[in-house]
Amino acid sequence: MNAPSLTRRQGLVIGVILFGLLTLGLIIDGGRQLISDVTGVLSVSYLTSAIRLTVPIAFAAMGGIFAEKTGVINIGLEGLLIIGAFGAVASLYALSATPIGANIWLAFVLAILASTFVALLFAIVCIEFKADQIIAGLAVWLIALGFAPFASIIIWSRTSSPSVGTFSTVSIPGLAALPSIGPLFEATPPVFLLALAVPFSWYLLNRTTFGMWIEASGEDPKSLDTAGVDVRKVRYAGVLLSGVYCGIGGAGLALNTGQFVGSGDTMIDGRGWIGLTAYLIGNYNPVGAFLASFLFAGLDALQLQLQQIAGYDVSSTLVEIIPYVAVLVVLTFVGRTRMPSAAGEHYESDE
Amino acid sequence: MTDDSGSIRERGSAALDRLVDATAAERITISLASLLFAIIVGAVLVFVSGFVADCADPFIYLPGLGYGCYNPLEVYWTMLTGSFGSMTVIGQTLLQTTLLLFTGLSVAVAFRAGLFNIGTQGQMVLGALATALVVLELAAYVPDNAIGMVIVLSTGVIVGAIVGGFWGMIPGLMKAYANAHEVITTIMLNFVAIGIAFWLVQVHVGDLTTDSVQTETVPAVARFPATISGSRFSVIALIGALLVAAGIYLLYTRTVIGYDLRTSGIQETAAEYGGVNAKRNIVTSMTLSGVLGGIAGAIYVMMVQYRWQAGIPPLGFDGIAVSILAGNNPVGVIPAALLFGSLKTGSVAVDLSLGVPGELVEVLRGLIILFIAMPEFFRMIGKRFGYGNGSVATDGGEAQ
Repeated sequence: MNAPSLTRRQGLVIGVILFGLLTLGLIIDGGRQLISDVTGVLSVSYLTSAIRLTVPIAFAAMGGIFAEKTGVINIGLEGLLIIGAFGAVASLYALSATPIGANIWLAFVLAILASTFVALLFAIVCIEFKADQIIAGLAVWLIALGFAPFASIIIWSRTSSPSVGTFSTVSIPGLAALPSIGPLFEATPPVFLLALAVPFSWYLLNRTTFGMWIEASGEDPKSLDTAGVDVRKVRYAGVLLSGVYCGIGGAGLALNTGQFVGSGDTMIDGRGWIGLTAYLIGNYNPVGAFLASFLFAGLDALQLQLQQIAGYDVSSTLVEIIPYVAVLVVLTFVGRTRMPSAAGEHYESDE
Repeated sequence: MTDDSGSIRERGSAALDRLVDATAAERITISLASLLFAIIVGAVLVFVSGFVADCADPFIYLPGLGYGCYNPLEVYWTMLTGSFGSMTVIGQTLLQTTLLLFTGLSVAVAFRAGLFNIGTQGQMVLGALATALVVLELAAYVPDNAIGMVIVLSTGVIVGAIVGGFWGMIPGLMKAYANAHEVITTIMLNFVAIGIAFWLVQVHVGDLTTDSVQTETVPAVARFPATISGSRFSVIALIGALLVAAGIYLLYTRTVIGYDLRTSGIQETAAEYGGVNAKRNIVTSMTLSGVLGGIAGAIYVMMVQYRWQAGIPPLGFDGIAVSILAGNNPVGVIPAALLFGSLKTGSVAVDLSLGVPGELVEVLRGLIILFIAMPEFFRMIGKRFGYGNGSVATDGGEAQ
């Protein structure tokens, strides 16, 4: 039912991005030469790096969908990603000092637990203490933004960690050996997790009873309550899922680079906010959110590759603001994103 | 499709209403309690981190845990002496307070109209850049004396206000005419503003002789005269900020315009019935909010940094904490700004003399916002300890 508006939205986003690229072409010298170099850069290696950059954005976006669909607006996604990234690196660093050793998967799980725990606190604050969700979500972001560099200095005496180790590449036997597209099937585990999470999330939301509860919890909690389902529990589940997803996204990013960077906006650097824009543009559809995330990550990758390969002095700053401009254009001109009608509201059971 | 958005606004406003319209005593209690809880949680955080950190002389030994480096009481005491202990640090505290007054008022003005402006940071960054560029140009044409200074400083403030106001007007227009949620648009506009400013300075208008992204330094004629030696604080800017706070208080309590601004955001339909152009008033509120953010940027350039430099501190986000702590009351913003000003200044001393990272203040800022966002938490605690009043029952808050 969301299909028509989805296509229109995405059409518009592509339009905005092309416009942005065109503007870039005019700003920098040799714009025409650029266009041909862009096509030269679009290769399989470009695609793999774009998909890798999609991981944190798309996970944050899908997490945000789950929370908001149940009726709890979670604008703390950026904060949860920061906790995930910091948690992963700090766990791996701490584990290497124990007899267990630097087990990267254990660190990954611990990071997800950390992010989910923060999401649980956020859920308690919103559901039990009826906090204003927007303000509480903002607080989650600001606390994480302060806590991660604070803890980094405590542990490593500076805002960034040393290198702790990365996920090694996994290749799918058979497929990875294919000519030309083979490299697409050689990637780090978080990338494969993303490939599984997108259809899984879509299926969960659209084809299961739990998905119906999520929908009802955000659209018509009264009826859900009448049907004998505990709205509170469904909302807790939604927010916790956003914690799990952000944990995967943040840890996936950090364990790809093998380091936590806590200076400025931290290594997450607005990816949670871009995730938020991605699901608004994708209109609360996990597939749409993934496509929007992929587009934004693809732009980022394009700018990186152009600088490395073609030696262009593309302003990374201007490329980075394209997602934000895109969502502003969509919100203003394409029409309102259809929020779940009870999002942001507390629900009181009559019992 | 459009109906939903309308009702979301009403509902969001209901939540803001609760924050704005709680009785004064209740508000102050919640603010003080939030502050207390944030300080306690911060103390626990500091105490626990002390066991992770390495230090030469630990203050405590706990069997099984090892040596603790940080004494929370000492940390808070150092924060206090580090922000009020000498004339120099008092100057620094008042300098931060001045900036926080403007950003706090910026957020409060929007909040009063039922609008949540998270975009003060972006409005400040762009206002600061505009101010820096204009005063750099203008300084060459004015005499190097008091008259020249008055001309340059006032022009600088006006330019910052105009550019900040323009940047605040954008989300106002989007909210009024396209019903785009101002929380989302202002967050996005922050990133856009910071990106544009960075790019402009890096590539076009900055000081291209250095590698850092910054403009040239403004001359003495474009600097607020320092009041206390050892600090760039100028009492002129502080007095200006206090006058603005008083002016905004009067605007909202004594004038029809202020009343209309307030109702337009909170009860758009009702305001329209009353013959008020609610859409225009939403734009006005956001513009006014942006103006104050822009002035904060102007003061930052002409009193603190003496140039525009990438990585302007997050005063806009501090402003959210200041405004919320103040119950969005323009007069309440004054003590709240002083509190945050001393926290920010004191954190420098805490970092230097005790080695506790200054980021502690950012954690405290977040915690204060979080606790204030949940008044119900305190009502439940009050009820549990027997201080509950009748209103708890009607709120349905049941301790679980």
